[in-house]
Amino acid sequence: MDLAQLAEFARDEARGRGVDYADVRSIRSETESIDVRDGDVQGVGRTISRGVGVRVLVAGSWGFASTNSDDEGDVRKAVEHAVDIARASGTVQRERVRLEDTPPPSGTYLTSHQRDPFDVPLAEKVDHLLAAAAAGREVAGVAFVEATCDAWKTTTHFRSTEGGSFDQTVVQIGAGLRALAIKAGEVQRRSFPNSFRGQFSAGGWEDVLALDLAGNAAATAREAVALLDAPELPAGRRTIILDSSQLALQVHESVGHATELDRILGMERAYAGTSFVEVKDRGHLRYGSPLVTITADATTPGALGTFGWDDEGVAAGETTLIEDGLLVGFLTNRECAAVIGERSNGTARADSWGTIPLIRMNNVSLQPREGDLESIIADTQDGLLLQTNKSWSIDDRRVNFQFSCEAAYEVHRGERGQLYKNPSYAGRTTEFWGACDAIGGRSDWRVWGVPNCGKGQPSQTARVGHGAATGRFRDITTGVGA
Amino acid sequence: MSTIGADRAFSLAEEAFAVEGADAVEVVISTSNSALTRYADSRIHQNTARIDAEARVRVVVDGNRIGVVATNDLSAESIRAAATAAVQTAKVTPRDTAFAGLAQPASYADGGTFDAATAECSPAERAELVARMLAQLPDGVLGSGAAESGRHELAVANTNGVRAHSDTTRGAASILAAGDTSTGFAEATTSRWGDLDGEALAQRAARKVELGRNPRDIEPGRYPVVLEAAATATLVEFLCWIAFASKEFLDGRSPLSGRLGEQVCDPRVTIVDDALSPLLPGVAFDFEGVPKRRVPLIDRGVAAGVAHDLSTAAAAGIASTGHGLPAPNSGGFPLHPIMEPGDASLDELIGGLERGLLVTRFHYTNVVNQMDTSITGMTRDGTFLVEDGRIVGGVRNLRFTQSILEALSSIEQIGAETETSSELFFGCARAPAIRLSGFRFTSATTF
Repeated sequence: MDLAQLAEFARDEARGRGVDYADVRSIRSETESIDVRDGDVQGVGRTISRGVGVRVLVAGSWGFASTNSDDEGDVRKAVEHAVDIARASGTVQRERVRLEDTPPPSGTYLTSHQRDPFDVPLAEKVDHLLAAAAAGREVAGVAFVEATCDAWKTTTHFRSTEGGSFDQTVVQIGAGLRALAIKAGEVQRRSFPNSFRGQFSAGGWEDVLALDLAGNAAATAREAVALLDAPELPAGRRTIILDSSQLALQVHESVGHATELDRILGMERAYAGTSFVEVKDRGHLRYGSPLVTITADATTPGALGTFGWDDEGVAAGETTLIEDGLLVGFLTNRECAAVIGERSNGTARADSWGTIPLIRMNNVSLQPREGDLESIIADTQDGLLLQTNKSWSIDDRRVNFQFSCEAAYEVHRGERGQLYKNPSYAGRTTEFWGACDAIGGRSDWRVWGVPNCGKGQPSQTARVGHGAATGRFRDITTGVGA
Repeated sequence: MSTIGADRAFSLAEEAFAVEGADAVEVVISTSNSALTRYADSRIHQNTARIDAEARVRVVVDGNRIGVVATNDLSAESIRAAATAAVQTAKVTPRDTAFAGLAQPASYADGGTFDAATAECSPAERAELVARMLAQLPDGVLGSGAAESGRHELAVANTNGVRAHSDTTRGAASILAAGDTSTGFAEATTSRWGDLDGEALAQRAARKVELGRNPRDIEPGRYPVVLEAAATATLVEFLCWIAFASKEFLDGRSPLSGRLGEQVCDPRVTIVDDALSPLLPGVAFDFEGVPKRRVPLIDRGVAAGVAHDLSTAAAAGIASTGHGLPAPNSGGFPLHPIMEPGDASLDELIGGLERGLLVTRFHYTNVVNQMDTSITGMTRDGTFLVEDGRIVGGVRNLRFTQSILEALSSIEQIGAETETSSELFFGCARAPAIRLSGFRFTSATTF
């Protein structure tokens, strides 16, 4: 049997065991990662994984079992195991799980790309990265320059006892470079176009070429070297301007996760935490200034969180989470949406055949307003421009956050001035978004890919997207060093 | 398929060894049969099981051209195909000048524990443990957490003759007890399911809920603290990440680069990495098939050692310590850190606080500045004000921004008991509770 047939076999096996509901995802995924440093290849790895995951509802309780085997007997055992697990769940139950009534899916879907990254000769990809690293390495004082490329191809065959069926292939790619400068007791880095392995999209090799890593390497390396002699950002309360990549991560941590309905309902309490947002807040909670409108859209072209159906078979769509500063929506799945009497907006995603779908961000984006980075700087009398995330932390209800960035510039009378190293800023979510008084326009807006979003037990890693432009925030705590 | 046994694993590796065009071949085979029962608001809401495997084939061509391909299909055909693909990769890959060769044959100490009851733990047994934990909670307090069991097999074989195999088990339980205004947390990790005392964990979490009711605000600032074992473990894990990974150390990116032999914190602090210790789940060899060695990282306050794999050890002119990661990762990493205990009870640690804070654990910690070992994170699930050596009540959670080495230089007393704790971004660490003369809290939150 091929994987699609195995999914149908497992669905029929589950149906024959009298389950309330079952869905099966049989998946083949292929990943590739390439790391170079200066003129050396640090690692090239390819991984192929395939398997079948069976999720069942029995008497209103969930069970899930999965296997890497393509043997019918092993898949049948997985179905039996899932049913046994669901029965065990039923012994510690309070209410029966109910799914809302989204119509079952049907069809096929493939993300758009020109050159499948897995069809590009490895030597071509390695040479491209080595050229970028070499361009950065020419800058005096740089310690080393690393360049990376990652690609994923995931084909999912979904079959459910409701008659749902889809076959979907998502191709994703990303690349970036990082320059490090080191002197006694001091390490500084600058990344392009973003930290943590660069920029990611649903697309092909052409997306990597469009980044022009080599053309941007020298400037990136020069700034890393300059940071070594830059002063520390002083502590204070300042107007801050966040570049779009940092603002994308701010959206991720303080809006995306906070509006996941499973967190709001307490399902993640013991691990990643809950949310300060409550169900009753919808339509009432002033989340940010009137400039702040945030949507979740799984149809954003070329974005890392784009797909045709989520892993429960709900069609990709767009929903508004915050409209002109007011909380108006949540990220939902079929179980949680039923709790609040709605249909899912299609954000149930699993990171493999061996894990269950959880509510995950797709492309959660801050909508553009007007202007751009330069016009916002020009409009700022006194402030700081913070660029490129270095680290993040937020409490278990998504209120108190603190971010570090790679670099900051003084902004004085509309112009960039002093460069600072080790900049950080901190705040509380609704106060912070309430202090937003400028967001760049469409020309300044970019969808950033975040490939390392963690959630759940066993831990899962999601690849999500965030559109953002430059943003400005007034009276923010900065310089929270040790 | 789940466990395959040593003979089968080595036989599968031989399939890869036969590939044409390779100077040397290494195969790492792993199998796992794991299950996790998750509960929230006192009901099981997610309940999963996974059987998986991997054959990771690393080939060497022309002396130091490396290719790595992994598959989770353990058929002989698939492993041969992975080896062929790895050779094709290696042939078009530039030379890895840091490559120091594959491991040589060695003998291995006993490491890890296999327990049949844990390997065979059923969904019903995990649900029963959850029910027993929940039964300990008073009215109005709800429980959330997980019960986990699994069997994990690892085999490493290479064309130099390395043949290493282990079969281990793991059980874990956690509970977050939540009342109206406070929460408490407890967890345990073991190789033997039967060692998990769910009732004790639940009672401990419930006590924190009671002690922390109606938390008060407290001004951020520098406070004397007692960090319970889980909070200490976070400091230890982050220090390992920041300071003791060999590649970063050799690059000069570790705050301890060039400082081995230097006193870096209080002389009562000793931290070792020891995969052979019965205190933590571990395997006797690394992913290159090198025997794991006990490595003192900080010895009585002195920076003492680094975790190496074969390539960084060669660069440093020493032998690998057995801390290699799965290829193509390079550089060693300490995955089994243990901070040695002192002699104080938790009550004695708390009793020594004139006015300070007791911290149960931290949340979402991250690095602020690697070179001064400063990190930031939040307290959660039980943060208490202590006055005159007595807990007087809960406080709203606080953010800390603190240098780890500075904290470990301000130790007043170390607890006699160590506990195994997991951290959001890492595996497990073993650490005692500690009392520090000062810890920097930089802001507060609303709960």
